[in-house]
Amino acid sequence: MHETSVAVPAIFNLVPILPFLPLAAFVLIVLWANRDKKLSAGLAIGGVGLSWVLGWAVAFTTFGIEGFGEPVRMFRDWLPTGRTWQAFGFAVDPLAAAMLIMVPFVCFLIFVYSVGYMGVGKPESDHDERGAPAEPGHVDRLASRFFAYIALFATGMIGLILADNLIMLLIFWEIMGLCSYLLIGFWFARKYDDPKQITPKEAGLKAFLTTRIGDTVMLAGIFLLYAQTQSLSFADIFKPETLERLATTTVNLPLIGATPWATLIGILIFCGAIGKSAQFPLHVWLPDAMEGPTPVSALIHAATMVSAGVYLAIRTFPLMQAVPHGPAMQFMAFIGAFTALFAATIAVAQNDIKRVLAYSTISQLGYMFAALGIGAYVAATFHLLTHAFFKALLFLGSGSVIHGMEHGHHAGMGQQVLGIRYSDTGDQYPIPNTHAFDPQDMRNMGGLFRRMPRTAWTFIIGGLALSGFPIVTAGFWSKDEILSDAFNGHTVVFITLALAALLTAFYTARQIVMTFFGAPRTAAAEHASEHDSIFAWMTVPLMALAVFAVAGGWVGIPREFPVLGALSTNPFHHYIEGLAEALEIHVEELPFNSVPLLTSLVVALGGLTLGWLVYRKFGVGAGLAPAHEGDREGSPLQIPDPLARPLGGLYTVLRNKYYFDEIYHAVFIRPVQRLATWLYRVDDLWVIDPLVDGVGKLWRGISEVGQWLDTHIVDGAVNGLAAVIGWCGGFVRVIQTGKAQNYLLVGLVTVSVLLGAFLLLPK
Amino acid sequence: MNLTDLTYLLPELILLLAATAVFLLDLLWLKRPGAEGKRALLPYVALVGLGLAALGLIPSLGGVRQVATMLAADPFAVFFKALAIIGVAVVILTAIPYLRGRTPYRGEFYALLLAVTLAVCLAVGATNLVLIYLGMEFLSITSYVLVGFLRHDCKSGEAALKYFLYGATASAVMLYGMSLLYGATGTTDLGGIAAAFASAPQGAGAGLAWLGTPAIILLLAGFGFKASLVPFHQWAPDTYEGAPTPVTAFLSTVSKATGFAVLIRVFMVVLAAMQYQWTALLIAVSIVTMTLGNLTALRQTNIKRLLAYSSIAQAGYILIGVAAVWMSGATFTGLNGVLIYLFAYLFTNVGAFAVVTAVESATGATEVKDYAGLVTRSPWLAGLLFVFLISLAGIPPTGGFMGKFFVFGAAVQQRLWVLVAIAAVNSVIAAFYYLNVVRYMFFTPAEEGAEPIGVAWPLRGALLVTAVLTLLLGLAPGPLITWATHSVQLLALR
Repeated sequence: MHETSVAVPAIFNLVPILPFLPLAAFVLIVLWANRDKKLSAGLAIGGVGLSWVLGWAVAFTTFGIEGFGEPVRMFRDWLPTGRTWQAFGFAVDPLAAAMLIMVPFVCFLIFVYSVGYMGVGKPESDHDERGAPAEPGHVDRLASRFFAYIALFATGMIGLILADNLIMLLIFWEIMGLCSYLLIGFWFARKYDDPKQITPKEAGLKAFLTTRIGDTVMLAGIFLLYAQTQSLSFADIFKPETLERLATTTVNLPLIGATPWATLIGILIFCGAIGKSAQFPLHVWLPDAMEGPTPVSALIHAATMVSAGVYLAIRTFPLMQAVPHGPAMQFMAFIGAFTALFAATIAVAQNDIKRVLAYSTISQLGYMFAALGIGAYVAATFHLLTHAFFKALLFLGSGSVIHGMEHGHHAGMGQQVLGIRYSDTGDQYPIPNTHAFDPQDMRNMGGLFRRMPRTAWTFIIGGLALSGFPIVTAGFWSKDEILSDAFNGHTVVFITLALAALLTAFYTARQIVMTFFGAPRTAAAEHASEHDSIFAWMTVPLMALAVFAVAGGWVGIPREFPVLGALSTNPFHHYIEGLAEALEIHVEELPFNSVPLLTSLVVALGGLTLGWLVYRKFGVGAGLAPAHEGDREGSPLQIPDPLARPLGGLYTVLRNKYYFDEIYHAVFIRPVQRLATWLYRVDDLWVIDPLVDGVGKLWRGISEVGQWLDTHIVDGAVNGLAAVIGWCGGFVRVIQTGKAQNYLLVGLVTVSVLLGAFLLLPK
Repeated sequence: MNLTDLTYLLPELILLLAATAVFLLDLLWLKRPGAEGKRALLPYVALVGLGLAALGLIPSLGGVRQVATMLAADPFAVFFKALAIIGVAVVILTAIPYLRGRTPYRGEFYALLLAVTLAVCLAVGATNLVLIYLGMEFLSITSYVLVGFLRHDCKSGEAALKYFLYGATASAVMLYGMSLLYGATGTTDLGGIAAAFASAPQGAGAGLAWLGTPAIILLLAGFGFKASLVPFHQWAPDTYEGAPTPVTAFLSTVSKATGFAVLIRVFMVVLAAMQYQWTALLIAVSIVTMTLGNLTALRQTNIKRLLAYSSIAQAGYILIGVAAVWMSGATFTGLNGVLIYLFAYLFTNVGAFAVVTAVESATGATEVKDYAGLVTRSPWLAGLLFVFLISLAGIPPTGGFMGKFFVFGAAVQQRLWVLVAIAAVNSVIAAFYYLNVVRYMFFTPAEEGAEPIGVAWPLRGALLVTAVLTLLLGLAPGPLITWATHSVQLLALR
């Protein structure tokens, strides 16, 4: 069924099993292996590891094929729909292959990291609750479940990138939606003292419902697409004549007027990406998704979930640009650029180490959408890949920091406990004092560089890549490419993105300084260490990712770049171009221009320097605070942020994320709750129940009439008639008597009645 | 009749030989001391016989052939023969642990099951009223014996007697209908009757039509008895409850499917000219059947009776497909829906009865409340029964959904809105009592001291096959849809 001019290598036959390897791990863990946590972890790692090896084998094979562009499809007819069939199948093209380099590999590293993070191999603590984080030095009680879920998550993403049609894509898309819900709410039993702080359970629900809004709109787009083209297969939809037809035929929308189908469908499908990739205005779920275990955050932010949204937009890009630079692309560019800047401003004022990263993810995804919106197809793909590596690195690094802080907290606290709790059997055990201390708050950290060197080095490399540190890091090359594409005629987007890049460098420097430099501000930071055995599992993936966070960018060095360009063949650009040609997407290799290059140098270095200068003195001289002090006097949480005074009220607004949660709560959630209450009243008190009561009364009245008839007429009639009516009254009870003769009577009477009706009725 | 005809009769011949072999082996090994181990092999001998019979279907594939003047080897017959062979094979697997300790005469049971398969093969392939009658009688009489097989169990005997009395009368009525057709046309060959109807003068009071409608009504009594359509259903709950559970599984699936197969062949081939009359009649029967079945099932407390009424209701849904037949449709011909439904329903219902058998074998309990907390006693059984119940309720991704989808789709295509609406309401009612069992299994705690339930290996095999196919037919229904559509299109419409 494929139309590539080259012979298809046999290794491609393995493509359809790639998503099913982690799925097999999921099934095995759920059904059999769940009692044994080590086995479960081994299965998950083995499943995704195999996918990784096979995926790289497939991907590297494609690199060897010159001019590879047309997808290699493997599918079978699956569901009949009218006169056509929906296919169950997978396809490989350069885009999918490039993703195959990243997704299973990053998943694999995250899985390995999870072994350490979940404490697999440690003893189980007797007083850990199921569904709550384990005490340091103990294994999570539900670790097997965790590995099953993340294996399923990997299935979702690998299946999504290989999907041959929109139905397949949707199936894996929804698998991921489910997994994100399960994993964000993984610590479902966790409660906080502060009732305003969102719990993991609520965060999971929030993520699920928010992305659902986008999914619903996207589904509408897919329905329209199917109605217009009678197919959901990418190969059919992206045929030039189909796209041409979609771009030229229009639909009359109220208020807007005639709109090409391609524009309408493109925007609707892009709404799905907005939800999944947490773009404005559906970005609210992603920061709260930090409530999940840290490897999950890394999965969601790097390898899976949010990448899926960008991937969808890249996949359906031919549809978006069927009307070149039409409203669909403008919309995408606007949402992307706006989100990039908007999220970066929020990140500046966050103190939770993971939340800073969360907003930075939203901002970087905005970058990718903005790039797509201005037609920079290759640059968006490139940034998606490099970002995945360094963002996974940063998240795993932050997880390592948090674990180190918890260990330090434990060590620093010594035997201090809040009280004694008694179990059912009468055993007593101490309640550790973990509630008042937030190991994720950067204000509690400081000086971790000396105490956790491996984590610190790798984190700093990731941070530099994120801020686009020139020449060496991957982030520089991908960001620079986006900026130079934007400079070519999209000035507003260019300025917005450059500002966002400046802020990115600034908050990254802030984060690094507050976490790793200066003096320790709490006992926990003072005693933090990475010498426990679990850190072996955790730091090795960090180092592997650090290599990619640097070297990953070198495949995309533009040929025109001064000095280095001569050494580079820009293999990435060349490779994706094959696909772009097959899809008839116009990709231009721009002439070198020094303005965007200088801009990215200035914003990256300037932002980093500025961040360093502002936060260098943060908390210096405040001394060491006892960690359990919470918000009390002398706590590092009382140290004012250096930006708080110059920014004034704006700082408060940023810190509260522009009050979006509050606004949504007031505008959407409260009214819905009120409506529900009102409907409940309608149902139970005002309308339905009275209606039911009324019907009941009516029947009582009728039965009273019946009773009257019974006593006055039936009793007066002959006994035979009475018997017949009685027989009718208890019809069902009477007919199933258990007596065969009665059964036969019913059957024969029916036949006779039918025959009689036939004879008597007029023909 | 020539020798090549014999290759089309291979399944029947193999089944006959296998049944005889099992009878004889049983007899040989019965009196021998120490042959108990060998007798345990008998069900597997029967399974091998079924396997060979399935292979014997290969020469009959693809193409419509008249065999020995009274039989057809057409895709329609092949479909139902395959269904019967697969169904009986799974029933045998469930019977192995069930019969252990209930009766010493186990060998005969498997021989009778082979014989009953042979009867089904004859009935679904017959193209002559005489052979149809003989095939159905063969099927009925063997079934009576199977229902009453547990001689020392009063309920089993009572069930057999009721079934026999009802069956005998129903077949007499059916025979009356057949005699009317013969009297009107002078032939018992289906093709011949059809030709006579087609060439007869149409119009009010025309002789043939005048005899045709009563014949339809009378035949419906016979077919409706097999398919347990209201009002010919009343034997079913009593018989299903009293019969050995594997036999119940057989009656509610393969036997019911045979009733539908014969009904479709006779009505479609012979009475095509009178489609207007029988369609109206079937719509009415369908509505009454599903409504009454579901409403009565709501109040059942015994799981076997509940499944009996559910199986009556399911017959009502299946009948929609026959009533909404529309042979020129591309996707929904109505009849392909019937075939898909019957095939999916076979695995679903046999699977459900297999779970009932497992629970009954281990604990002897058949009340719904005995299923409380099944999930803690045997998570596998509870999970599987859940799958079967949602398939019965017609919830995706199961085969039951596909069946309902195609049957309802045909009704929508024919614009039978009232029928569709009633069927939809019925589906909701049905979901209630299916999910009630689920509620007991998962959300009601088990009684104190309830022990885990072990499941014998053959039964595990049956559960595996049925559960996998139930899900597979929902997830990848393509091959079945193609097969069913193909099987219907070649139904000999001469």
